[in-house]
Amino acid sequence: MNPRLLIPAILLAAAMQLAAQETPAPSASTQATANQDNAAQDAPPPESRRDLRYSLAVIDDATLYSNLQAPLPNVHNQFLIEPTLTLRYKPRWSFSTSLIGVADRYTGAFTQLRVKEAYAGLSAGDFDFMLGRRMVRWGTGYAFTAAGVLDPPRMPTNPTDRLNLNEGRDMVKADYVHGPQALTVAWSSAALTPAAAGLHDTTAFRYNVLVHGFDTALIAGHDRGGDSFGALAFTRVLGEAFEIHGEAAWREQAAILLGGKFTTPSGITFIGEFFTPPNIPYFQNPALCPLDGRQHYLFVSAYKNRLRELPHWKQWDLAASAVANLNDRSYTAVFDATRRFGNHFSSYLHIEVPSGSSKSQYGATPYSAATSIGLRFQL
Amino acid sequence: MSSTYPNRINCILRTLLLLMLIGFLFTCIVVCRAATPTVPDVAGALKRSDSYRNGWPSYVLNVKITSFESGKPGEVKLYEVSQKGTEKTYVEFMSPREKGQHLLMLGDDMWVYLPDTSRPIRITPLERLSGDASNGDVARTNYAADYTPSYVRTEKVGAEECYVLDLAAKRKGATYQRILYWLRVQDDRPVKAEFYLTSGKLIKSATFDEFLTVAGHPQLRRLTLHDEIRHNSSSVLEYSGIAPRELPDKLFYQGRTDRF
Repeated sequence: MNPRLLIPAILLAAAMQLAAQETPAPSASTQATANQDNAAQDAPPPESRRDLRYSLAVIDDATLYSNLQAPLPNVHNQFLIEPTLTLRYKPRWSFSTSLIGVADRYTGAFTQLRVKEAYAGLSAGDFDFMLGRRMVRWGTGYAFTAAGVLDPPRMPTNPTDRLNLNEGRDMVKADYVHGPQALTVAWSSAALTPAAAGLHDTTAFRYNVLVHGFDTALIAGHDRGGDSFGALAFTRVLGEAFEIHGEAAWREQAAILLGGKFTTPSGITFIGEFFTPPNIPYFQNPALCPLDGRQHYLFVSAYKNRLRELPHWKQWDLAASAVANLNDRSYTAVFDATRRFGNHFSSYLHIEVPSGSSKSQYGATPYSAATSIGLRFQL
Repeated sequence: MSSTYPNRINCILRTLLLLMLIGFLFTCIVVCRAATPTVPDVAGALKRSDSYRNGWPSYVLNVKITSFESGKPGEVKLYEVSQKGTEKTYVEFMSPREKGQHLLMLGDDMWVYLPDTSRPIRITPLERLSGDASNGDVARTNYAADYTPSYVRTEKVGAEECYVLDLAAKRKGATYQRILYWLRVQDDRPVKAEFYLTSGKLIKSATFDEFLTVAGHPQLRRLTLHDEIRHNSSSVLEYSGIAPRELPDKLFYQGRTDRF
């Protein structure tokens, strides 16, 4: 090689090597930060064999009935204590109970202890077994249900069971859960329920599967001394803001429920449901005549939780809804407002205003308005 | 003799010219390298940054969210999060007012269980955005699964050199439509982020404040979310009890109705 070219060749090679270098060496400050991060170490906590969860709700509720057309007091006071407890031993055994202690003052003063739920559970692989009293809701509707064969009674003017007064059904239940599919077999006894509840011993099967975004359930069963039934229920989310749900049930005659939900970018949610049950003993409303035939109902609701965009309204939830009987054109309008105080307390206002002719389903309500105010403590 | 002298001069001049040319090329290389940032492997960087919040394929952790209004602490919310893979998240609400509620995410599908209704209710992506720190901030932390990254620039945040990535939502289950994400160059550790809605509006920003090492994995310990709409509001998310766990698929069944 020509010696005169050696020096420039070496220089060129050095330039290429410099250009090929990757990340710079860490500076002293970032090295110190990295050392600081590594110094903060934490060992992962061991898995616990026993797990106890509990909650306690205490509610003081007062309801004022306006223009009460019955010889009853205008004010109804209720004081409720609702403890809930779940104990799990490893992932296999569980025991859960939810009680309702009620001190009621209306026509007289009485106290009562109700068992909302009390059941024992065993989990074995993909199988879950349960024995006791349990709240089960198979219906997908908010205000109504056609497929909720084991559901507690659903009141359209109080779809969320504001005071948690609903009780479960006594049953033995087995679930096989595998991925997005589940098969459930349940036998529910009506032995301990009041005769006025109109319940039967019920055997029911449910197959639930999530496929292509459809959460679908097929239900079949039989009421001892009553009807056999079949039902289909589904929910589906469309896009970012829409949800649709529906139920179809056959029990002597067909009952159909169709509903939808829409959420605006500002967080206001609208719900609408249409429900048409046959006027058979299972669906019959005491306010209706048995000869009234098939009924048609509409439920609409608008609500927003945490009005955070408005100054000083962040702790407020507001809701307005209405349920209407389209046959007799009667309806009840409902307004709810809740205000939270700190981490444990909240107060609420609940107003129901029925309207319609005196012979209509909602117009026959013996008051012009029911206003409830209450204070809730939760632990 | 007279003929060799010019040749020598020519040789020296040629050598000098060659050295100047090499020097010029060298300078150009150095200057161009300084001017042109190295484009990182953005997909790999995003995946590595996710490992600071998802250290194992299956794990549990506790999240404590403290809301601040004008600097004063307000509501405190507690959550237990169980995560399996990138698609399954189960969040149990542990605050006194929300006890018994849980949130389930399976890919783009979401349900919330409310003890008042005793059944899981299907919710839409927009319903998930509630409160200063949304459920999506707690439950949806795997950005590599939900977003497509692209490199924007490299810049310094404080003393730290950071890549800035633009994350575009690639599925409807993503909490935000767009995120600007700052990752530390040396180890892809998240430094800060800005969150945007579909309208392009900046809704929140976040700083990743504190990390700790759990079983050899550096994990996020503290995150601060700043409300860019109501500028005096913020939330601090504190992560604890981080542990790898074998979680059964039954935990992520959409029809689960256990209160706890």
